[in-house]
Amino acid sequence: MKIRKLLALTACVSMFFSGAALAADAPKAPAKEAPKDLILKGDAKCTGCHDEADDTKPTMLDLKPSVLSIGKTKHGTVADGRTPTCTDCHGESEKHVGHKGSGKPPKPDRWYSKKSNTPIEARNGSCLTCHQGGDRIGWQNSAHGTQDVACSSCHQVHAARDKVRSKVTQTEVCFTCHKEQRNQVNKPSHHPIVEGKMTCSSCHNVHGDNPKQLIKASTNETCYTCHMEKRGPFVHNHEPVSEDCSICHQPHGTTVPNLLKARVPFLCQDCHGDGSHRLQVGGLPTNQAASGTGTLGTVGRGCLSCHTNIHGGNSTENNATAGRFRR
Amino acid sequence: MNIMNTMQQTFRLTALSTALMMAFAPALADEAEVNELIKPDSTISIGAGYWSGERPQMGIYDGMRESGVHGLLDADVVKRNDATGTWYKFKGQNLGLDSREFRLDVEKQGDIGGFFEYSKTPREAPYTVNTGLQGAGTSIQTVSGAGANAFAKRDITLGTEREMFRLGAFKSLMPGLDFKIDFKNEDKTGTRAWNFGSQSYFLVEPVDSTIRQLEGILRYSGKSLQLSGGYYGSWFQQNNGGMVTATTNGVAGSTLLSQPLSNQAHQGFLDGGYNFTPTTRGTFKAAYTRATQDSDLPIWGALSAPGAPGHLDGRIDTTLLQLGLSSRPLPKLALTGNLRYHDQNDKTPLTQFVTTGSGTWNTPQSFTKTSGKLEGTYRLPANFSVTGGVDYYNQNRSTPIVGTIVVPFRSEINELTYKLQLRRSLDDNLNGSIAYLRSDRNGSLRTNSTVAGANGAIQNLYNPMHISDRIRDKLRFKLDWDPVEKLSLQFAVEAARDDYGPDNNPYGLISGKAMLYSLDANYVFNDDWKLSGWLSHENTRSRQQVASTPINDIHLAETTNSLGLGLLGKVTSKLHFGTNIEWQRSITKHDQSGPFTATFRPLEDIENKLTRLKINGTYAVHKNGDIRLDLIHEHWYSDDWTWNFAGGNPYASGTAAGIDGTTVLVRPNQVSNFAGLRYIYKFQ
Repeated sequence: MKIRKLLALTACVSMFFSGAALAADAPKAPAKEAPKDLILKGDAKCTGCHDEADDTKPTMLDLKPSVLSIGKTKHGTVADGRTPTCTDCHGESEKHVGHKGSGKPPKPDRWYSKKSNTPIEARNGSCLTCHQGGDRIGWQNSAHGTQDVACSSCHQVHAARDKVRSKVTQTEVCFTCHKEQRNQVNKPSHHPIVEGKMTCSSCHNVHGDNPKQLIKASTNETCYTCHMEKRGPFVHNHEPVSEDCSICHQPHGTTVPNLLKARVPFLCQDCHGDGSHRLQVGGLPTNQAASGTGTLGTVGRGCLSCHTNIHGGNSTENNATAGRFRR
Repeated sequence: MNIMNTMQQTFRLTALSTALMMAFAPALADEAEVNELIKPDSTISIGAGYWSGERPQMGIYDGMRESGVHGLLDADVVKRNDATGTWYKFKGQNLGLDSREFRLDVEKQGDIGGFFEYSKTPREAPYTVNTGLQGAGTSIQTVSGAGANAFAKRDITLGTEREMFRLGAFKSLMPGLDFKIDFKNEDKTGTRAWNFGSQSYFLVEPVDSTIRQLEGILRYSGKSLQLSGGYYGSWFQQNNGGMVTATTNGVAGSTLLSQPLSNQAHQGFLDGGYNFTPTTRGTFKAAYTRATQDSDLPIWGALSAPGAPGHLDGRIDTTLLQLGLSSRPLPKLALTGNLRYHDQNDKTPLTQFVTTGSGTWNTPQSFTKTSGKLEGTYRLPANFSVTGGVDYYNQNRSTPIVGTIVVPFRSEINELTYKLQLRRSLDDNLNGSIAYLRSDRNGSLRTNSTVAGANGAIQNLYNPMHISDRIRDKLRFKLDWDPVEKLSLQFAVEAARDDYGPDNNPYGLISGKAMLYSLDANYVFNDDWKLSGWLSHENTRSRQQVASTPINDIHLAETTNSLGLGLLGKVTSKLHFGTNIEWQRSITKHDQSGPFTATFRPLEDIENKLTRLKINGTYAVHKNGDIRLDLIHEHWYSDDWTWNFAGGNPYASGTAAGIDGTTVLVRPNQVSNFAGLRYIYKFQ
């Protein structure tokens, strides 16, 4: 055993020195081999220059596109015959590839950074060549599509983990433009967005042409995917509930419980005011003795303290209040 | 001899391996380095965190409402067989908490794949209820009575929990044609604040239901034609029987409260798109849905109206048709347009369910929404473009033919919106847009309320907010400016004004306003440090009038200021640092003309304030392992009086002294600090 270890040690030492000697004695560097493809078919044309020396490992700052990390993505999965090459998306870019000299080379035929001068339709056209189907059929007619939003405005195609496709980081991308919603999701009554249990794309198909770019054809149909108990039909339907949840609710967040747009009784009084307690002022009674039908519209659950099934009721009790969402 | 042989053999092997290592070691090192850059990578993190205090408001959904130690376990494992293009993914989040979720994917890219997903979402009410209610959250509940009939009070918390699993698969049938199927099952259980209905006594609604959704889609994607069609079915199942009996201890009789009943919907749909030319594309959507609710109505015994049916036989048929066209007829001109028809036809038979008073029928409601849009964008010199557009919206509603019309309504609404936008893009360091939109909503003559007497007369002087005449103006301005390479700024203004018009009725909403200013800035010090921040100011206002005597003129206003600040950086090659501050303060005002009395007081302003400071540091203890420390300081403040009487005492449910008396406790100041330490293992 000792002999083996000794011999192995000798070999390592000799390897070290022989390597060093070889390096020292090397008369000339051998002719540079033609670069080989690293990831995609024909990518040597690009990765010959955009190699690991040009590449940053994923960092917290995310400042530079990590060119080679496309290998970690579906676009870098060459076993799938549909996987594109660099030039499928960036064009042949002859001037860029053929650039000699020390200055910055001209840009590729199609490039995708924030300051790109490649027309949006050309940039998006690269993606839509393969991704026009499914949820993106209506892209050209969508709110984002008609506002010249580039796919690369939201997607990091080379990144191993595309921020906008992650539950935890998606809102960072969306809030770059949607400032109002950035405020709303932090209000006390909100969907679990900041907690990472929902994302914008839980409700929105941002590539689609539904109203408000929702995942379903209407607001209510979208809400019912999670709140199906509100769907009915009920024996007693509340008209605005059946028509559009967003008449009363602001889904991104409010300061009023249950995502209501305004506090009761003010919200209810936007439609109801036919006398009696429906005309009450929004105020607080001083104690239980001062509480009555005409003073309870605001405190606690307010109007809902009696009209407790406000989304609709199924009562068949022979009582006039059955139709007023009180049963 | 043996020793000599062994020595010779060892020497030969060692020499050989030495030669091989000399030749290939640099190549292997290169390959390893490249692999690190191009092969999928994975992380698993495990640790524990400690919250110093309870977080009723901030911990509603995250599973960390209680103070104490919480397990921190997350995983993001991604493996790929490069030869076959098969992915194996496991993503787990919050696995040590009640808000845990994970998803497992196996997919041979472009061929076949499947996934399984599990998620649990708690929603805990941000308050504690002190009540004598017996049977809270069950189908038989008894409210605490007066005097000797009072029950001892105790603290309870309310909340629901969603537990979801989902599974799906796809298969590529031929190039461009694939089939996918997706099934989701979600159970929702727990409790929710509710009330007695006939009195303002506090009840607790039992929540026990299941939502199931199944979708199967066949998708074709060719160079010019894309189609996507299939079936979407959804089922709501009430597991609680659909009825709750509530009584008051010591009081004769009971109140029966209904719950949502099981229902289902089946939808067939087909979407498509076709590129007529490289610059002209047409799209369409067609969907037909049949929703039914034919559950047994709960048996109300002697309380039911004579002859009331045992089923609603509810049925709603919905039809959607949509056509779209987008084109660039000239290199500088882009046009888009669409037409949409959405018809919801309620075919539920009309039946009388209540015979007392003037009688009550069920309320089937049908409507048709028709809309159209036309928009054109023309590119001007210097990277400017101008967009003009018009949107048309029309809604027709069915008119009730029996029963009382409580709120006046319109059988038809029309809204026309004009849009003009100027945009500058593709410039190196200064881009922006300004847009103005005006909407004009009006409609048919109103069908008046049939509430009898003076009450009905007053009601007919109201503007129900969703059908009234309305002029809405919107202004949107956005500027992106990079004054120097390291600094980028973004400034945005959004303003809106609603005018319900002098020609409208005097009561209800009169006007509304909203303003939002925001400024975002990013500064990159160098490749290692970045600072980002944003400020936002939002103000919304509305004015409405209520026909009390004297008229109550109500001005509601809410102002919200928010701030975010983040610093990210690399202290050393092994130590990364991040800090983040979020601050938000909103003030809500409820100015009213009254009248108020000594025992019925005006509403105070409400202040809500959130401060959250996060600091994290990640230290690479070895190539494949990091230690991460997270520190959080969180402060929530609210003087919301929702559950208080005027003066600050807790609101006691009920109107008669001694009965019920449930109170709800909300802690106005919630401060909690968090420290979490985790080990992150990274591998490929």
